[in-house]
Amino acid sequence: MRPRRLSFAKSLTTGLVVAIVIVQVYPLAWLFVTSLRPAQDFAAGNPFGIPSSLTLDNYVRAFEMADLPQYILNSFVVTAASSALIVFLGMMAAYALQVLGFRGSKVVLGLFLIGIIVPVQVALVPLFVNYARVGLLNTYQSMIIPLVGFALPISIYLFTSFFQYIPRETYEAASLDGAGPYRIFFGITMPLSTNTVITVVFVNGIFIWNDFIFANTFVFTEGLKTIPLGLQNFIGAMGSVDWTATFAAVCVTVTPLLLVFLVLNKAIIYGLESGSTKG
Amino acid sequence: MKHKKRLAIAGVAMAATLTLIGCGTPAGPSQEGEIVGREISWLLSRPADGGIITVVKEIADEYAETHPGFALNLVTTPDRPSYLQKLETLAAADQLPEFFDTDATPFTRKLVDQGKLVDVEALLKDLDIYDDFRPLALDYQRFDDGSLYMVPFEFEMEFFWYNTALFEQAGVTVPETLDDFADLCGPLRDAGVIPFALDGQDGWPLARYMSYQPFRLAGPDYLNELKRAEVELSDEVGTHASEWLAELGSSGCFAEGFSSQGYTDARDLFTSGQAAVYQIGTWELAALTSPDLPEGVKGNIDFFTLPTVEGAVTADNDYTVVSGIGMGISQKAFDPLVEDFLKFLLSEYSDRIVETGHMSPIAGSDVVIPEGASELYARALAEVDNLGDETAFPWDTQLDPTTNSRLQQDLVLLVQGEITPEQFTKTIDATLAENAPKFFD
Amino acid sequence: MLPHRSRLSVLVFLLPPLALYVIAVLFPILQSLVLSFFQWDGITDMEFVGIDNYIRMLTRDDIFWKAFGNALVYLAVCLFFQLGVSLFVANLLTYVGRGKEVVKTLLLLPAIISTVAISFLFQEIYSFEPSGLINQILEFVGLGNLATPWLSNVDTVLVAVSAPEGWRFLGLYMLILYAAILAVPKELEEAARLDGASSWRVFTEIRFPYIRPVWITTMIMATTYSLRGFDIPYLLTNGGPGQSSELLTTYMFKTAFRSTDFGYASTISVFIVVECIVAVGLIFLLLRRRSDVTS
Repeated sequence: MRPRRLSFAKSLTTGLVVAIVIVQVYPLAWLFVTSLRPAQDFAAGNPFGIPSSLTLDNYVRAFEMADLPQYILNSFVVTAASSALIVFLGMMAAYALQVLGFRGSKVVLGLFLIGIIVPVQVALVPLFVNYARVGLLNTYQSMIIPLVGFALPISIYLFTSFFQYIPRETYEAASLDGAGPYRIFFGITMPLSTNTVITVVFVNGIFIWNDFIFANTFVFTEGLKTIPLGLQNFIGAMGSVDWTATFAAVCVTVTPLLLVFLVLNKAIIYGLESGSTKG
Repeated sequence: MKHKKRLAIAGVAMAATLTLIGCGTPAGPSQEGEIVGREISWLLSRPADGGIITVVKEIADEYAETHPGFALNLVTTPDRPSYLQKLETLAAADQLPEFFDTDATPFTRKLVDQGKLVDVEALLKDLDIYDDFRPLALDYQRFDDGSLYMVPFEFEMEFFWYNTALFEQAGVTVPETLDDFADLCGPLRDAGVIPFALDGQDGWPLARYMSYQPFRLAGPDYLNELKRAEVELSDEVGTHASEWLAELGSSGCFAEGFSSQGYTDARDLFTSGQAAVYQIGTWELAALTSPDLPEGVKGNIDFFTLPTVEGAVTADNDYTVVSGIGMGISQKAFDPLVEDFLKFLLSEYSDRIVETGHMSPIAGSDVVIPEGASELYARALAEVDNLGDETAFPWDTQLDPTTNSRLQQDLVLLVQGEITPEQFTKTIDATLAENAPKFFD
Repeated sequence: MLPHRSRLSVLVFLLPPLALYVIAVLFPILQSLVLSFFQWDGITDMEFVGIDNYIRMLTRDDIFWKAFGNALVYLAVCLFFQLGVSLFVANLLTYVGRGKEVVKTLLLLPAIISTVAISFLFQEIYSFEPSGLINQILEFVGLGNLATPWLSNVDTVLVAVSAPEGWRFLGLYMLILYAAILAVPKELEEAARLDGASSWRVFTEIRFPYIRPVWITTMIMATTYSLRGFDIPYLLTNGGPGQSSELLTTYMFKTAFRSTDFGYASTISVFIVVECIVAVGLIFLLLRRRSDVTS
């Protein structure tokens, strides 16, 4: 009796997992297939049916309508610079707050943590006006500064949580060897934090790569447009959309992130698993 | 008391930080002095690969050849809400570029009152091209006091396109009055057809329907009084319009789920033969007369103009004619170069835009019909010679923005039968009372 | 505290991040707070109106209250997916033998697609005329009478716009919870199993208490991100039909950038900040206290 029940439970588990995976992945597969459908076929027929034929026309149109490589480059610059800053500054702050420690560190930490719960839209108008005054509008920095600012709190939170788990003795031993705060930071804390770094970069990287709101507010020239902003070029007069070309563009712009993700997949999953649970 | 004072001081300090220094010395439209080449910008909300941008780019390149140092930087944000957000933040920071797209909205009016825009009427007269423009094209850009601060670049008429085969199949004919619309829907539905294709996602198409009855029953002034809350939407005219829309909804005139259908969905419903009527402007003529239309649709598309109503005060040939989003010129950045370039642009523009199959706001150039388009293309454009001299203004450019949003949202509820016409008019009146005074003092 | 630290080293490490944070986040928030006492359209002079914006928000604005209620439902749906379903999947996964790694990767995939694309996608999935994916499936399994225009029906739209947000990050939260479950000492579970405890009891009495701290972190992350949710409802329905899917964030954004009512928009954002603080406070109050008792 028991083995049969077990195998039933097992196949039920497998079935459920497979079903959930399908729910998570099917829409993305559909997106890809649609990007290969002839535009007419998509407009007239059942969008979820099997395409009558496949074509690369949509990709040709997508590249004609917008400077996709430029958008990808811009998104890359913004994401890379922001991620580096988020990691480095986050680690520094967490180090000062958690490892070095000082009177009032709890208050400062609290101040940072407020940032986790503030909606980014709050800052748009003031930031714009401030940027205009110092001539920062329409630059990479105008996107990077608020992106980093709003990501810092969660980064600091994750790093401080992680630093709690580095045993005190590690530091004490290093101190006895005569290592100062700077050497400890670069020699011990940083190398130990790899997993948390991956978590921070991955979680924030997704948001930054896809940020629309700051780019849309602070950037005006074609040469600085990031991907989400560039995708807007596919919206035509009065709101008409060339759907299949848009999906083709989406596929093109997702590719770099997807590649990074697939290559680093193991590290990311490992990092997420061990980096985020030490809280 | 002390507390209040401190707040007020903080406020003044903030005001100082937030309001930017600027406000160049106001200058008359005509600029004396030398033309010095430099880069100028035009912030647009037009399709990136559309005819206008292509033509303007071409002209700017030619101008640059004879004017070293000149460059025109075209920045387009076709999605209108995103564009407006950008424009408003730029205006707030006093960073408006040389040219920027905008409608004659209450917000633009405020900019004008601040002296930030060049008086286009005076400018066009100075450049001696004022009289070449189609009067309706200029009228569309005017504020309700008649002043003109935007240059039009389009000229399009809005029609109801219908599928003659589907009409025949359902045994219905072109409606004579607006109030006949609802009677079409039963037979069309029985024939398995969606009566009216409607882009409910964007808000403006349904707002057009809202504007029709008042325009016919009370004329163009109704809107001007309504937006100032001088008349109430719960009056006879507004109530009739609201009841009419509710009836269209309850008669199944629009696709179920229209509110989540976008512009393209609506057009596709019509051009694929699933919907019988489609309200849209002549800017879609290429799609409506395309040789690639499926069988059963090709050759079966015809159009009618805005029907009248019993006791109409506007003529049959008065209906919605638009000249698109206009182009404002920043007063601060206005100099001889900007003026000279504009002069060149407008002298070249008309002959080239007609090559793309679109009408020009400047009369005199004949549209080149695209190859392969059906006879409908020329026939629809020929209506331009029969136009009256009143326009049914779209409400979305006239109402204050808060009321406009509320109107567009609640119209959907009204048509879906979630609220009654009475609730609808009451809500809009309350919203007008709260917000109109902020824009129309 | 490190023994060999100096005041200077603290400053060296703390000042750069703090400076950037103040410039990018704190100062603009303060500016917003001040703005909430003004009426300002961005171009004409600001006018001090005291607490009038707050009075308007709390007493005269029916959309505000509607949006507040909607935001809570949105939160509930997101939490259902991001905490409920993901915890369930994480548990399931511990019973799966082979293919775990592949499953984890696939579940994480939706998180990297931009919200613009996700909105395009779900528009097609929810469509009614022509029939979208969900309605086709309902038709197929014989529940055709349940088919509805999900994004136009005022009774379904709110859940319909909330689900994609939950869907998108399900994998991420699942992974975090899964990792926490892995950290539960195997001996405890084995011992319980030998005592004849069911999977359910193993979960409630051993696993869950053990992962409670991670659960709290996850909950705070999910809650605050959901309360800030904006993109998908904004792009999918723009708050409609009517105000059926309007959230506080979308309403605030529209008030600022469509109605150019920056003062009033700031008032709403002050409320959102307060709301988030209260939510996080509640989570701590309810969960920390209980975990203190059990541990």
